[in-house]
Amino acid sequence: MIEIKDLRKEFVLSKQQRKELNTTDSIATAVDGISLNCQPGRVFSLLGPNGAGKTTTLRMISTIFKPTSGEITIAGVDAIKYPREARKKIGFLTGSTGLYARLTPNELIQYFADLYNVPKKEFEERKDYLYTLLDMHDFQGKRIGKLSTGMKQKVSICRTMIHDPEVVVFDEPTSGLDVITAENIIELIRSCKNDGKTVIFSSHIMSEVDLLCDDLAIIHKGKMLYNGEMSSFKKEMQSDNLTEEFIRIVKSNSAQS
Amino acid sequence: MIFTIFKKELIDTLRDKRTLMMMLVIPILIFPVLLNVFGGISASFKEKAANKVVKIGYIGEKNGYLYEKLENLPEQLGKKEIILYKDSTELKKAIQIDTLQIGLFVSPTFETHLKERKPAQVIVFFNGTEEGMRERAERYISVIEDIALQERYIEMNLKVSELTPITPKYSNVASTKEMIGKLAGGILPYIFIAFGFLGCMYPAIDLFTGEKERGTIETLLTTPVARWQILFGKMGVVVLSGVFAATAALLGLFLSIEVFNMVEDAALLDIVHEILSPKFILLLFSLLFPLIVFFAGIMIPVAIYAKSFKEAQSIITPINLIVVLPAMIGFFPGIKLTAITASIPVVNIVLSTKELIAGTLDYSLLGLSYLVMIIIAVIAVFVSYKQFDKETNIIV
Repeated sequence: MIEIKDLRKEFVLSKQQRKELNTTDSIATAVDGISLNCQPGRVFSLLGPNGAGKTTTLRMISTIFKPTSGEITIAGVDAIKYPREARKKIGFLTGSTGLYARLTPNELIQYFADLYNVPKKEFEERKDYLYTLLDMHDFQGKRIGKLSTGMKQKVSICRTMIHDPEVVVFDEPTSGLDVITAENIIELIRSCKNDGKTVIFSSHIMSEVDLLCDDLAIIHKGKMLYNGEMSSFKKEMQSDNLTEEFIRIVKSNSAQS
Repeated sequence: MIFTIFKKELIDTLRDKRTLMMMLVIPILIFPVLLNVFGGISASFKEKAANKVVKIGYIGEKNGYLYEKLENLPEQLGKKEIILYKDSTELKKAIQIDTLQIGLFVSPTFETHLKERKPAQVIVFFNGTEEGMRERAERYISVIEDIALQERYIEMNLKVSELTPITPKYSNVASTKEMIGKLAGGILPYIFIAFGFLGCMYPAIDLFTGEKERGTIETLLTTPVARWQILFGKMGVVVLSGVFAATAALLGLFLSIEVFNMVEDAALLDIVHEILSPKFILLLFSLLFPLIVFFAGIMIPVAIYAKSFKEAQSIITPINLIVVLPAMIGFFPGIKLTAITASIPVVNIVLSTKELIAGTLDYSLLGLSYLVMIIIAVIAVFVSYKQFDKETNIIV
């Protein structure tokens, strides 16, 4: 479970950044008091245009960034007070995740299992299960740099799931992937849901959202515009389809502000 | 956890060809190549100079005193050919275009003055841009002058000993080892320092900036490992790479001496063996270690801050000049290890090593050098920690 209350993140802007953003403000607010709740066995989708604050929110959930204020609880652990404890329960995957090209999948998976302190027996079982599930046995000993994009994606998935996390965070996980490779991710999200894990993922591909999510939140300029169940969202829609409704909500918010 | 990160980063680093080149291949080759090139060039210059037949243009009487003596000079003083000239302008021209290397214009009064025991004049022409020609002319003239002096003593019935009131004898109390240490001992630590720096450079950029550039840092930060543990694991590899590079340079030196026999002079070889004792090597590494930690500590914050490999490289390269240039101070013979120089990082390492080679090291100053190096290494590590803890620095 992920519980977020009044989450806020501010960044101090350097002189160079102020110049680039054409602003005199010394502080930029990336996330402005958002609250949400992701339940186990459900998929929560975080929607928003570029620069809305999705990645910053997910980075705070993953404890990479420390919030300026607010509360984050991950599977019952206060992620701000005990970030290392919270991280043990999180699996994190982004579309831009790179892998160590000079290592083999075996070495990389072992490395992350060691970092998560996965016991040896559990690691062997888990690795075998994931290798079979993802059909990774054939390339487990090859250097990652020599693998295809699809193979690399499978290694990333295996790396994310090797410690069997309770909460899985996906930041635009399918960006830059072709439909076939993206299918691995879609399958992973589905299987996480079926295993009773808490899943939060950010995206701006509405077909994916429609396919997977149970709950959704729309954020824009760091503020929450919608937070509720997918079924309710569909019922309340004023446009013909999800994409148009998403654009409508974002635009009407822009007009108001 | 630190060891887990260290082990992974070491495997990763050892599989990077660029790092391997800078860390092992180039340092191993540097001494054999340097000794081979410089040894070869120096030997070839000596041989060339010794075998060179110097053409001497001569204006004066062919049967005159100077001509006769010059002609009879032994060949060991350098091979020569005497060509008679009549016109001094032509003689000078010939020297300018290197047809002649030396010109002698013997004054018409030369023979008379010599007989009358007056100073007899001879003008020596040479081209200052031709290396060693003035020295060759001076050698010839000085030998002839000595012969003339001896002849004059005999003519005048004088004893040489009576005309030599003082016979100073200069005796060098410094051992050859000390001489080598003080005069050339700076080169050794300089090369180790330079390679220690270069050895750290690529791993520092690869393990910090590279991790940002490749998009792997984010994943690493979501693992339940403290940032300081990640930093220390990575830093360990950066330091080890610097130590590897310095060791490889030492190995190259060892190979040049022991395997390729590049030092031919037996006496010099004995001294080199004496210098490169296990005690010396141990002390050298104990001095280099805090220095390399300091190098890692100044490179890592830059590597953390930089957004790309290129940016990191463009900042670290000038730092290389600032940090490694003071090491050149060891090349100057007059500069000694004092309380002041022992307090200057890098300089203290070079001077301590120099004194160590010369066998004149003051251990209290060595202690001060250690203290200074450890303090700045700790500061550098602390700065790295602060930078690595800054979230805006580590996420692109």
